[in-house]
Amino acid sequence: MEKFQRYYLSFLLLIVYTNTIAQVNCNAIEGEDCKKACELYNLASDFQGYRASQEGFDKAIELCPDFANAYMEKAVPYLKNGDFVTWKGLIDKAVALDPKMHLGYRGWCKFQFLRDYSGAILDLETLKQYYPEDLGRSQNGDYNLSIVKAMSYSALGQKEKAAGIIERQLATRGYVKGMFDHYQLGVTYFELGKYDKALENFEQQSKEYDFAENIYFKSKVSKIRNKDYLDLKTLALQTYDEGKTMKDVYTHHFNKIYRKQIEEL
Amino acid sequence: MSKYPNTVGDIEFDRKLDAADLKKCGAGKDKPFSFQYYHGAKGFDYKGEKIAIVEKLKKENIYSENKSNGFITVRFLVNCEGKTGLFRLQHMSPDLKDTVLDVELENKLLQFTQSLDGWIPKEINGSKVDYYQYLTYKIENGKVSEVLP
Repeated sequence: MEKFQRYYLSFLLLIVYTNTIAQVNCNAIEGEDCKKACELYNLASDFQGYRASQEGFDKAIELCPDFANAYMEKAVPYLKNGDFVTWKGLIDKAVALDPKMHLGYRGWCKFQFLRDYSGAILDLETLKQYYPEDLGRSQNGDYNLSIVKAMSYSALGQKEKAAGIIERQLATRGYVKGMFDHYQLGVTYFELGKYDKALENFEQQSKEYDFAENIYFKSKVSKIRNKDYLDLKTLALQTYDEGKTMKDVYTHHFNKIYRKQIEEL
Repeated sequence: MSKYPNTVGDIEFDRKLDAADLKKCGAGKDKPFSFQYYHGAKGFDYKGEKIAIVEKLKKENIYSENKSNGFITVRFLVNCEGKTGLFRLQHMSPDLKDTVLDVELENKLLQFTQSLDGWIPKEINGSKVDYYQYLTYKIENGKVSEVLP
């Protein structure tokens, strides 16, 4: 088989594999039509973005118009491919039908794909009604949604509030830290001019998982304090070139730093 | 006749809108499946990274007199040689409703997007492919405040 053909097939299998996460146990669904809709939904989820998949979701919705997951999954390829108008119409429908299930996801997407900070805050503050103890994780797993809320407040200039949210989250018993929690808190303190607290968090981040952006900020603090910062700058560039940077498949991270910014430090 | 394209987001050539010289040339170009910018190992791939686009945009000083707010998205195809075409624009209010923000601003951002020539051809498993890319400009008080994704 031609090399590309092989890849093409393995790519299809990967789509099937990654989308099995969306699978629903249809035995738990009440009503014959909705059970059938659920089975159609599971099948369609395996081929996300394809014509047959979108048609499958339509059939599922026709059979069971209140089946929120079908709207949500039908919306996903529009989000990934940049058609936000169509995405919004569908995801709003999913949220209206099942806010507990889809509100957090919509809030995360508003933050991640559109930098719609006010929209994200609105969704995530409302989500607290359903999950007062723990808002859950972002879709990519990198953040707790309370940290996403904090980053949104930070972007809107409410940095003290943002730092407070992250501090409280980190102090919560049993909290499982996100990948970049201390970095985001460190940047917030840096922007507030609180360099001791900033550095404390960048150092903690280094201990848990270090990456170029974090080293860049440590270097920046040193420079502000008239200390030797060049070794850290060199390390940040080296780490960047090794590929240890803030990465996301679909978008760029909040507070991501580019190589050029490190070079210009 | 289905109301859906082979893959969500596929753009059909329109001779009234599109230059005829852009050809799909990538491996799998005849398959009923389209690659997107996030496929493959590198994802978003522009010479000098996204910051190069942001800095170029800053130099152009593009803004709207009417202080509009919302989003403007331009979707397009990057072919296996890194050439672009099939540009399509979508405008949205802050709550993502299909709304005209400012025709002049939209045209300027479309032209700006068309002027970008640093897209790196995507290679997947040793084969160059054509792929769809988009840029979303978040507009606040008539100015671009963020470039996404």
